Amino acid sequence: MAIKPVLHIVQRDFKYFFRYKWWVAGMISMNLADLFIMAIVYTRMVNPDIITDYFVFFAPGLTITALFAAAFMIGREINMEVRREISHYMLSLPIKRWELAIGRVLAGGLRGIIYMAPLLVTTLIITYIYTSVFPHPLQFLTIVLALFLISIGTSGLSIALAVSTTSFEKYITARGVVYYVLFFCSTVFYPMNLIQTALPQLVLLAQYNPLSCGADLSRAFLLGNPPFSPFMLVDIALFALIFASLATFAYMKVTQK
Amino acid sequence: MPPIIRMVNLTKKFGEFTAVDHLNLEVEEGEILGLLGPNGAGKTTTLLMLTTVIKPTEGTAFVGPYDVGQEPDKARTLIGMAFQEPKLLWVDSPWDILNWHAKVCGLSAEERKKKVRWVLEQVELWNDRLKSVHAFSGGMRKRVEIAKILIQRPKIAIVDEPTAQIDIVGKHRIWNMLRELRDEGSTILLATNELYEADVLSDRVAIMHKGKLLVCDEPKKLKDSIPGGDVVEIALEKDITTAALAKLKEIPRVVNVLTIKQNQLKIYLNQAEEVLPKITEFFMKERLQVKSIRMSEPSLDDVFAHYTGLTIEEAQRE
Ligand SMILES: Nc1ncnc2c1ncn2[C@@H]1O[C@H](COP(=O)(O)OP(=O)(O)O)[C@@H](O)[C@H]1O
Ligand SMILES: [Mg+2]
Repeated sequence: MAIKPVLHIVQRDFKYFFRYKWWVAGMISMNLADLFIMAIVYTRMVNPDIITDYFVFFAPGLTITALFAAAFMIGREINMEVRREISHYMLSLPIKRWELAIGRVLAGGLRGIIYMAPLLVTTLIITYIYTSVFPHPLQFLTIVLALFLISIGTSGLSIALAVSTTSFEKYITARGVVYYVLFFCSTVFYPMNLIQTALPQLVLLAQYNPLSCGADLSRAFLLGNPPFSPFMLVDIALFALIFASLATFAYMKVTQK
Repeated sequence: MPPIIRMVNLTKKFGEFTAVDHLNLEVEEGEILGLLGPNGAGKTTTLLMLTTVIKPTEGTAFVGPYDVGQEPDKARTLIGMAFQEPKLLWVDSPWDILNWHAKVCGLSAEERKKKVRWVLEQVELWNDRLKSVHAFSGGMRKRVEIAKILIQRPKIAIVDEPTAQIDIVGKHRIWNMLRELRDEGSTILLATNELYEADVLSDRVAIMHKGKLLVCDEPKKLKDSIPGGDVVEIALEKDITTAALAKLKEIPRVVNVLTIKQNQLKIYLNQAEEVLPKITEFFMKERLQVKSIRMSEPSLDDVFAHYTGLTIEEAQRE
């Protein structure tokens, strides 16, 4: 396995990520504004018996949201490259196809992690203020690992969508659907017992949703509730594995019709 | 020496449409082979199959010892391509583009430092090296694209219409740089629809039309090969009738007549000195006033016309 070509690809994608930093920052702050408003509204609305302090509950969810948005961006770029046939250049380079594909997936994942890092720190501070305990270093590493895997899976998901939708409009639509389903049917914004009472049909989906697992895993270690279960990590690892493979496969096949 | 590129029944279909049709062509190591044909002839599609960017529908090609279908990764290690449409992201600068390209092609940091500057100076973009290509003219973008090949210096350089949109001085600079690349031992496969470019730059020219190879040989041999070694171009005051055209073709030693327009003819003939008086006489008898007469040597356009009945310009319009 040659590491160097993969690193060249990652480096290229990083460069573009930071070229668009203001655009990304704008996008994320818009998301954040929305979410903070939601947090305030929910805190008022939500029955304190169900969620005691919504803001603290919500902070780990916010981290996942930022991570997801940043890791998903790679798909938009790849979709544009395929449409403008810039992918022809990438495909003509003296790099093996799978090195190219893995590089793209990895870059998307790392971009998510880097973008999310300040939010994770914020979350850590917020939860420390609330609970007065820091997580054990091993627990913290587990959170980072889980978030990294989610990021890789998200990057893979976005790339798979990007190369299998021909027009930009279709890509945007698909992205909207994915966002909606993944966030709505998850415990990112509200806990499982709320889903159980309000929309019991969605419980199964919410349980297996890697975003739920990610948010709840962070909450388990940062807030002590819900309890940690190894299932969360397995679920997330499977998500990463499946979508990273799918993206690699799709990228290799579709970009060379 | 075996050919460095060998296309064997190379074919590409897009749906029902055949863009490249059973192409059999060999490129010798160290030559510049010009692939000449009008727009839509299938040149770009052929090149993309050789760089393994798209897959052949039928047949295959060998790049060095590697079959592009079987070992595309290895085939690509021998190849560098400058695309017809520059493949540049708008936020990039020439310096970034070339430095990254050189890195991917295996140049060390030290080599890159020297060579990126050298190549940017060669294509006259050193002063604009840090500007984003978004603001560049078509010609400037084209020069960034060709610079990739010049810095990479691949064993096989594939260049697709390398001087389109570039002014004549710039064209000569690039032709010279491509010749230098060949003299260093690279093989160059050049796609073009410009007759002059194909003629002056190529060691051999392969002429393509509608996905098919018409003929491939040295430019001089191609031009010598067409019957009617002299070409007379005649412009008339009014349009020629079909009947008159038929009679014109009957004149001894007139090999072929091509109607560029109804009042503009290209006559291919042998021993022009003797036949020309007969031709002028003929037009007088037909009451067709001759506006101008010009004699020329056959060009690659005439070779193309010999095979297709069309000039390249007419074929472009089709
Ligand atoms: N991806 C594609 N899908 C459908 N048709 C294509 C595609 N690429 C090229 N063609 C068609 O194939 C023909 C040959 O195109 P091309 O190889 O670009 O010719 P050239 O480079 O000689 O101008 C053209 O008619 C073009 O429209
Ligand atoms: Mg072309």
